[in-house]
Amino acid sequence: MRSIILAVLFLPVLFFWEGEKAMADDLVAWGKHIAEAGNGKPGNTACMECHRLTGGGMPSIGGPRIAGQTMEYISREIREVQQGKRYGPVMAGVVQNLSKRDIQAVATYYSQLSPPKVSDIHTPSPKLVSLGKQIAHRGLWKKNIPACIQCHGQNGYGVPPLFPYIAGQNRTYLLQQLLSYAFLKRKDDPQGLMRGIAKRLSTEERKAVAEYFSSLSPPR
Amino acid sequence: MIQRTLFQKGLLLILALGLLTSGSIASAESPEGTSRFFSPPPEDSIPSGPFGDLVRKGERIFTQTRKYAHPYVGNDLTCESCHLNRGRKAYSAPLWGAYVLYPRYRKKNHRVNTLEDRIRGCFRFSMNGMPPPSDSETIKALVAYSFWMSRGAPVGEKLTGRGMINLESPKRTPDPFSGKKVYAARCALCHGLHGQGRKSHGETAFPPVWGARSFNQGAGLFKVSKLAGFIKMNMPLSKGDSLTDQEAWDVAAYIDSQPRPKKP
Repeated sequence: MRSIILAVLFLPVLFFWEGEKAMADDLVAWGKHIAEAGNGKPGNTACMECHRLTGGGMPSIGGPRIAGQTMEYISREIREVQQGKRYGPVMAGVVQNLSKRDIQAVATYYSQLSPPKVSDIHTPSPKLVSLGKQIAHRGLWKKNIPACIQCHGQNGYGVPPLFPYIAGQNRTYLLQQLLSYAFLKRKDDPQGLMRGIAKRLSTEERKAVAEYFSSLSPPR
Repeated sequence: MIQRTLFQKGLLLILALGLLTSGSIASAESPEGTSRFFSPPPEDSIPSGPFGDLVRKGERIFTQTRKYAHPYVGNDLTCESCHLNRGRKAYSAPLWGAYVLYPRYRKKNHRVNTLEDRIRGCFRFSMNGMPPPSDSETIKALVAYSFWMSRGAPVGEKLTGRGMINLESPKRTPDPFSGKKVYAARCALCHGLHGQGRKSHGETAFPPVWGARSFNQGAGLFKVSKLAGFIKMNMPLSKGDSLTDQEAWDVAAYIDSQPRPKKP
């Protein structure tokens, strides 16, 4: 008798749990669909054109690796591009017609992947890598620049939810973003933290940190 | 008459210029690298040999305290959590500012303290742990690191940039409720809305600023004026001196009003 009552009591919970799981699966499937073919609305080309279906990115064109970034970070960046706070001349057109749920879906999909690193197109310069390593681990305090790893985590693995990993990211993308923070219109960094730092770095130093972090392996 | 007004104008101009130049504590270190603070020796100048090894050991303990001084650490902080840039940054209690003042009398324990005593105090209060014995390798290494960093600093002198900055008394009594708003807007991104800090792959990335894994009520930063001075000059990281004095006071009052381990 007691077990029947218990079963009756817990059945809805079970269904609810199953339902939640199915919805989550749906979300990821829809995210994958958007990544593969877009959501069907004008402008929304497939994410994989630049980020690959695995999220490994395309170093040759500076398409960033996004696999394994947090869901919060990926969706935040898409929203910032939509709102024009993050400079992204290509992305702006692509994401303009993504709904809230589309964003959540595609961000969840990519956050769960961890493909191998897509190798960069050029061989890193040892001199720049060593300068970059110095800045990454010790900072340039004379210019009030803390070590990169203080906010991007040991080894550049990121600090969830909002500080992205930068280890194993491609060099072209990293350099583009530093330049965009310093001189263009990337303005989505909280409190302008990255804008200040990117401005104070010299041309060579920007290249050096991009070179260093791109020479590492991404997390996991 | 005309000459007098000209003279007065000149005086005013000089006064105005004086005010302008003295008004900025912001440009702590100028971009050219010339500094009004003591410049510790560059990190790559640590010598080889047994002395250099001890110094390097001290530096490792300083930045990865839990890993290298495990038995003595009781929370998620490192020495570098408060002494930024590996103990080198002005107004975040740099080692070179402290080293030259020890031994010295401290009201806190009413006796003359050696640097060893002082560092043991850090472990007990700020690290909420066990003080390492004075003759332990941990203390020896940390003293060696401080000694090496302070080479060339004038002994016994109160150097500019030592300790935390003394802010002027706030216009309004520091208010935790206003502080909470400042905290949410400017601090929570890194230290978390509940003061819990943040981790990266299991390692502490941003230190907890209250709660069981933060400094205890015996720590220097439990004093609102000290914490306000630290925050004013150093926080948010890379944007020191961007909060107003009042904001620094308020947010310090808020942080120090939150629960944390009792003074042992």
